Amino acid sequence: MMRALERTIGVYRRVVAVVRRRRLERDLNDELAFHLAMRAADHARSGATDEDAARAARRQFGNVTAIKEQTRDMWTFPSFESIRQDVRYGSRMLRRSPGFTIVAVLALAIGIGANTAIFSLVDGLFIRGLPYPDADRLVLLIGNVQRAAVERRGNSYPDFLDWKTRSTSFVGMAAYTQDAATLSGSTEPERLTLESVSPSYFSLLGVTPTYGRVFRDAEDAVAGRDAVCVLSDGLWKRRFGADPAIVGQTIRLDGRAYTVVGIMPAGFTGLTDLAELWRPFMMSGWDPAARGSRGFNALARLRPGVTPAAAQAELAGISRQLERAYPDTNAKRAVEVAPLADELFGTLKGPVVILMIAVLIVLLVACANVANLLIGRSEARQREIAVRTALGAGRQRLVRQLITESVLLTGIAAVAGVGLAYLAIPALVASSPITLPTFFTPAIDLPVLGFTVGAAAACGLLLGLAPALHTRLAGLANALKDSARGSSAQSWHSRRLLVVTEVTLAVVLAVTAGLMMRSVQKLTAIDPGFNPRGVLAVSISIPRAPQDSQQPATPGDRTAAPKLVASSRVLLERVQGLPGVQSAALASDLPLDGQSGAVFYQAEGDTTTDAQTRPRAYVHRVTPGFFQTLGIALHGGRTFMDTDPAQSVIVSDRVVRRFWPTQDPIGEHIQIGSNVFSIIGVVDETKYRGLPDNPTADPDLYFPFVDRGLQSLAVRTALDPAALGRSLRAAIHDVDPSIVVYGETPLEDLVATQTAPPRFTTWLMGLFAGTALLLAVIGVYGVMAYFVAQRRREFGIRLALGADPRGILKLVVAQGARLIAIGVALGGVASYFLGRALQTVLFGVEPTDPSAVAAVALLAVVALLACYLPARRATHVDPALALRNE
Amino acid sequence: MGEPRKPAEGDFLPGTLDMLILKALSRGQAHGYAVAEFIRRASDEVLKVEEGALYPALHRLEVRGWLRSTWGTSENNRRAKYYRLSALGRRELENEAAYWNRVATAVTRVMRTV
Repeated sequence: MMRALERTIGVYRRVVAVVRRRRLERDLNDELAFHLAMRAADHARSGATDEDAARAARRQFGNVTAIKEQTRDMWTFPSFESIRQDVRYGSRMLRRSPGFTIVAVLALAIGIGANTAIFSLVDGLFIRGLPYPDADRLVLLIGNVQRAAVERRGNSYPDFLDWKTRSTSFVGMAAYTQDAATLSGSTEPERLTLESVSPSYFSLLGVTPTYGRVFRDAEDAVAGRDAVCVLSDGLWKRRFGADPAIVGQTIRLDGRAYTVVGIMPAGFTGLTDLAELWRPFMMSGWDPAARGSRGFNALARLRPGVTPAAAQAELAGISRQLERAYPDTNAKRAVEVAPLADELFGTLKGPVVILMIAVLIVLLVACANVANLLIGRSEARQREIAVRTALGAGRQRLVRQLITESVLLTGIAAVAGVGLAYLAIPALVASSPITLPTFFTPAIDLPVLGFTVGAAAACGLLLGLAPALHTRLAGLANALKDSARGSSAQSWHSRRLLVVTEVTLAVVLAVTAGLMMRSVQKLTAIDPGFNPRGVLAVSISIPRAPQDSQQPATPGDRTAAPKLVASSRVLLERVQGLPGVQSAALASDLPLDGQSGAVFYQAEGDTTTDAQTRPRAYVHRVTPGFFQTLGIALHGGRTFMDTDPAQSVIVSDRVVRRFWPTQDPIGEHIQIGSNVFSIIGVVDETKYRGLPDNPTADPDLYFPFVDRGLQSLAVRTALDPAALGRSLRAAIHDVDPSIVVYGETPLEDLVATQTAPPRFTTWLMGLFAGTALLLAVIGVYGVMAYFVAQRRREFGIRLALGADPRGILKLVVAQGARLIAIGVALGGVASYFLGRALQTVLFGVEPTDPSAVAAVALLAVVALLACYLPARRATHVDPALALRNE
Repeated sequence: MGEPRKPAEGDFLPGTLDMLILKALSRGQAHGYAVAEFIRRASDEVLKVEEGALYPALHRLEVRGWLRSTWGTSENNRRAKYYRLSALGRRELENEAAYWNRVATAVTRVMRTV
């Protein structure tokens, strides 16, 4: 009690002294000077000259500088000095056993490096977040409809205006939609991805142009009137030589002259993360008066203090008002307030959290391994520690020494780990099949370094305490008497505990990885209903013929056949004639290209549907070769012929199952608006709009192709589809050089992109599980080798006395098997519950899946092998040697 | 007073300097010079101390909380640092004195034994 009080007082004074260093220094000078003056005066009184008196006083005093130094030291923390000693001593110890140091540093560096790399993702997603000011108040407003489930449909302009004027939750609201347009000019025409946005879009995001200005409200007031645009930094540099004088000049988009009013700063690519150019929303072709024409989203900024839930409640009320006012267009319509960060990062968050947990487990396994090594070393050092105790080293000091050594170890590992992460992060991003948002750039920044330092320090303390706790420092005197090789039962106990922990953690990771692999396997085995192999998808934009370009396009009219510079059929014939092309087809859109649009339809004579079950389908306009090119199976009737009238339709299976489950659907009719179509064929249901499943369960309707400016070309080839792009482009440009060909993608790649996130996560998960497995196996091997080494003498004697080597083999393996069995059992139970928690990220895999059992079995077998090697060594002990060694 | 002998470390038993300082201050507050003078005079100049060595000890005892210090004006009107015992220091002095007596008695008894 007294001691503690004294120590507290001492620490307090020293802290004060450190803070008031200058004052302390001055006081000390004064105090010593006073003493010297007094002593000199004393001498002067006995008759010495002033000079002699001063000299005598100094002589009597001793070395003033040294005394000052010593006195000052009383006020500083003595630990600084001794910590330096500890560090020096520790690094000497680490240098003396390079084998141990390398293994330990390597294990820890892998663990810490993996943690740093994955934490950089966590940092990017959860700490740095979106690169917009007060991004947590940005939300998307997404129109939806209540059908069997709530389906997102986007907004209509009149709805958007009503939300804007009637709501009070928001600072501002901006409509935006992704568009594309052909930029023509001096060089080859180019297809640009752009955003059509309300003027407030930029201020809501907090971005300002580097040159010029953004749109004025008046420039977004009338549909199709104000042809102004803002360039992205990238486009400005790429196409306009980074010349600021472009502001005020015009560029040609889809044949129309747009005045450039501003240039955005580098790195800004809009919410779609693809935009190279912006134009007023009113230039997008959306009919601002059609309440039923929906499809774009809106960006909004919440007023300070308003929660998304409160805004959601307010908009729900407004939606009900609109529903009453416009029952035709707004029945069951509502709007979802979705935090922007969730929309942009949402799909990444789950996998990143799972990966973070996985790497933490890897680090724990690595720590357990190194702790095992350290325990082994601390045993070897019992004598050294005992000697130091006898020479007066305090228990505290010894513990501190051990912790210093392990912190040193983890410190080196942390540096190496950060180095590994520094190399790994770009590789991770590059090898990632997920297209990461450009504003999400994982890097080693301050929070990441902080995390690494924290993790390393925690590991260091943990590792230092492990041997410190299990070594009975108090009873070290015994160690002096004991043989240095003597080992306590307690150490054996700690080691076994660590190995069981390692096996348990490794099982958890292995099972998780196994389940995820199985899930990915199931994902990639899904039959999409079409055959993507050998198919190249290409987008084509055909400009209007000059005599036709005078009349503007009618907004919302998607079926009108404008006069184009080249006929689609001519193009198709040319492509089909190319060497290597087996078949080719044109279509309004292709599977998984995200361009499909939907309509409501009606089966003729059907009276069973209401507003909620009103049949909806996705429409595709295709040339006769489409089904053959894409390998979509025909279930009944026939595919298109060039001679088919526009009123023919081919439906997908689900339409038939719903309306003509027992009859022959061929010759039946469906109605869209006032148009009636006759069914001539039935094809297989496809995953046209997404894998593992379409976002909505609506079927597909296929109509005969009509010429259109934007179209997609699908080419089936026996060659590598990616290699076909060049000749395809040449052939099309041969027909007309103003045709823009873009987005050549093998269909297989589009399919792969759909399953990319889970495949990537699983790949990393497998990597981490493999690392944990390896570390755990090394741990098992280490502990069993130790077990055998401890009992060499016993085994030697047994063998000398004629014991069966197989008996000894069995004994050792059984010893290891028991540990493995406990670990496997614990890990199995833990991963069963983990598997339940993972259900949301797994696709059709139960925690009891055979893959889980296989993962556990694999781990158990490898671990048993790790026992077998030391066991075999036990049977080869030479009794003479074992005895002599003692 | 001739050339002062260079004091060797052995002039003091380890730990006794602390005790002597505490004793010197047991009669009331004093500055470092007075403490040195007290030790010199009280021991009939038997205990010679390199005077500077006093200061690390004084500061150590202060950090430990056995002494308190104040700045005041000395008898010849100079700024001087005055030390006095704290309650902790007083108790420590009692412990040390008791211990010292025990040891001294024991040593004396041993030395008398033939």
